[in-house]
Amino acid sequence: MSIRKGKNYLYGIHVPDQKHYSMDKPIEKMPAPKKVYISLSQHIGAPAIPVVNVGDHVIKGQLIGEASGTISANVFSSVCGTVTAIEDIVNGLGQKFKYVIIENDFSDQEMFFDNMSDFSPSSLIERIRLAGIVGLGGAGFPTAVKLSPKTPIDTLIINGAECEPYLNCDYRLMIERTDDIYKGIKYTAMALNINKIIIGIEANKPQAIKCFERFSDLDVVVLKKQYPMGSEKHLIYCTTGRKVPIGKMPFDVGCCVQNIKTMIACFEAIEQNKPLTEIVMTVSGNGINDAKNLKIALGTPLTDIVEYCGGEKENTIKLVAGGPMMGKALISLNNYARKTDSGLLLLTDDETSARKPTNCINCAVCAKNCPMRLMPMYIESYALAGDFKSAEKYGAMNCIECGSCAYNCPAKRSLVQSISYAKAKIKEMKQNGR
Amino acid sequence: MADNSKLYKYSSSPHVKSPRTTKWIMINVCIALLPACIMGIIYFGGLAALILALALVSAIASEFVFLLICGKTFKEIVKQFDFTSCVTGLLIGMSIGTNYPLYAPVLGSIFAIIVVKMLFGGTGKNLVNPAVTDRIFIFMSFQTVVGKWVDPSGNLVTGATALAGILETGTLPTLSNLQLFLGSGLAGCIGETCKVALIAGAIYLAILGIIDLKYPVIYVAVTGLFTVALNGFNFAYFLPTILSGGLMLGALFMSTDYTTTPNTTLGNVIYFVALGLLTAGLRQATKMEVVSFAILLMNLIVPLIDKFVINKPFGNKKAKENK
Repeated sequence: MSIRKGKNYLYGIHVPDQKHYSMDKPIEKMPAPKKVYISLSQHIGAPAIPVVNVGDHVIKGQLIGEASGTISANVFSSVCGTVTAIEDIVNGLGQKFKYVIIENDFSDQEMFFDNMSDFSPSSLIERIRLAGIVGLGGAGFPTAVKLSPKTPIDTLIINGAECEPYLNCDYRLMIERTDDIYKGIKYTAMALNINKIIIGIEANKPQAIKCFERFSDLDVVVLKKQYPMGSEKHLIYCTTGRKVPIGKMPFDVGCCVQNIKTMIACFEAIEQNKPLTEIVMTVSGNGINDAKNLKIALGTPLTDIVEYCGGEKENTIKLVAGGPMMGKALISLNNYARKTDSGLLLLTDDETSARKPTNCINCAVCAKNCPMRLMPMYIESYALAGDFKSAEKYGAMNCIECGSCAYNCPAKRSLVQSISYAKAKIKEMKQNGR
Repeated sequence: MADNSKLYKYSSSPHVKSPRTTKWIMINVCIALLPACIMGIIYFGGLAALILALALVSAIASEFVFLLICGKTFKEIVKQFDFTSCVTGLLIGMSIGTNYPLYAPVLGSIFAIIVVKMLFGGTGKNLVNPAVTDRIFIFMSFQTVVGKWVDPSGNLVTGATALAGILETGTLPTLSNLQLFLGSGLAGCIGETCKVALIAGAIYLAILGIIDLKYPVIYVAVTGLFTVALNGFNFAYFLPTILSGGLMLGALFMSTDYTTTPNTTLGNVIYFVALGLLTAGLRQATKMEVVSFAILLMNLIVPLIDKFVINKPFGNKKAKENK
């Protein structure tokens, strides 16, 4: 057993963490809704292909969408019932995806995988792939792919930083299901065939740190409370001192970073033979009457979730899927819980800033805070001027879109928006061969 | 589907932002300037208050008039007013002596706001600091009164500010360092004599995280040390040099202006060290108070510094090794 302090990283910001809304609320299991809308594209990569037809009767844990390629993931039914439709729906993000709509018949049948007999890395990875597990921290990258890297890995890093304000689901899981997480971590380490495991937890979660102290083979690293500590590259640096080179991935420095919730999902898939059908989500913000940490069936409409949490307040003006720093704004509640959702925030006008941008005053606060050491103001002005080559020269592609720049900008400029616009344009330029 | 027709605000992340705005920063800079203004009024009397008020009002009025001519409505201007012209106005008033004609601050403010700031595009777009440029404008325009200062007892003294004494005759001032620090009995501009008030204001800004005190400290220290070096390493020159003239006002409130300083830590260090060397060197060579000239010159070099000194992205070193 060892507890040590993480390396200091100078760049980043301090955001009021706003965790009090739901920090002390145990995870509640929300009853499954009458109807679920399960997206076939809840991950990075190709959408899953539906393997059920309209009118079919499905039970909980039954495969309804099959992965179509290496970078894709299986999708399972989260309730028992009848498939009423398979259709394209425009969700709250304004994106059109294929959804499988299942009407719940409230029977409690459930389908499981067979017991595992062989715990070799390849069969563990196969089980994780089969269960449709993706990076549940928000990225949604298929975990099985992440666990079969091209270069040798020597360290598994578990991300318990949860640096996003408001969100508490990882924290609650860490203190409520410590043993399950530990087992999940051990299986993942077995799959990677390594022994060195580090779990990084931010210093503002002393209870979670205490929970993990007792495991002799985990290296608990206490991280400074700083945003964005949960960013892969910064987590690796603060826990191991390794710097991920520009344009490279964590496996290039021998690290594999996994999320707490992913570890639970791995545990459930391997030991309890359950596919991924439920997620844990924090419903918070000033706009919700009763902030909660919920265990939700995939595909639950957000309207049901909001209703379960006591409804929204009148002055709610913004709806965010994920954390307030990197989450996506939703235009309406016409959206359904996905694997990667770790939060649903209802923000009122006094919480969310809606000021109009003014002239940049060159204060360089953005450059001073940027955890990637970029110079956002230059990238922004090049992006707005349409000079994407110069934007690239200033490192636009290295931006992790953490929002540190825009958070502190006194002129309230939409720096992240401009930079992601530049990134999209640069990608487009590269695809067209310039 | 029940009540999901309500539409929410859509925008890019982040969805929470810090309460700091340009306006908030500028209001705090004004607050930080107040102690020095008040001390100026105490030392130089009602005329000082009148000059400060004239400078302030005409600075704000110039901005309004300019924007009105540009076709903005009065309501819009009030809404977007960010108090930068208040800072400029106060600084202009502070860098004038009570022996100047009363139209000097008015003329200065109009020049600083309209020519230096608004014509370049307003807040954040100006190439040089308006208050600094205005100091030079006044210096050039009022040759008959420049070099003569009023001491707090109301007597007009010629070339007898503490700094002029050091520069012209090489003699250390008769006033004690403590007097220089407090500004009592010291001749000079309204806002620059009381160093302790200026420092208090700067500490206030540093506590709020608006300015980084290490840069003005570098500037002042380099100026002092270089003067010491130029005078045959006579350390008796150190304190009188840094405590006299407009150095404190310039270092704490004029050279730290966001718009006209580099954007990187290294760039800032280069800028402030060069500023210190330039100030000490020019003071020695011209026998004049040149803080504002030094700042103006360095302001013009800032874009160059910013072009060549940029941050290395995180993880950059290894990428080079891998190549």
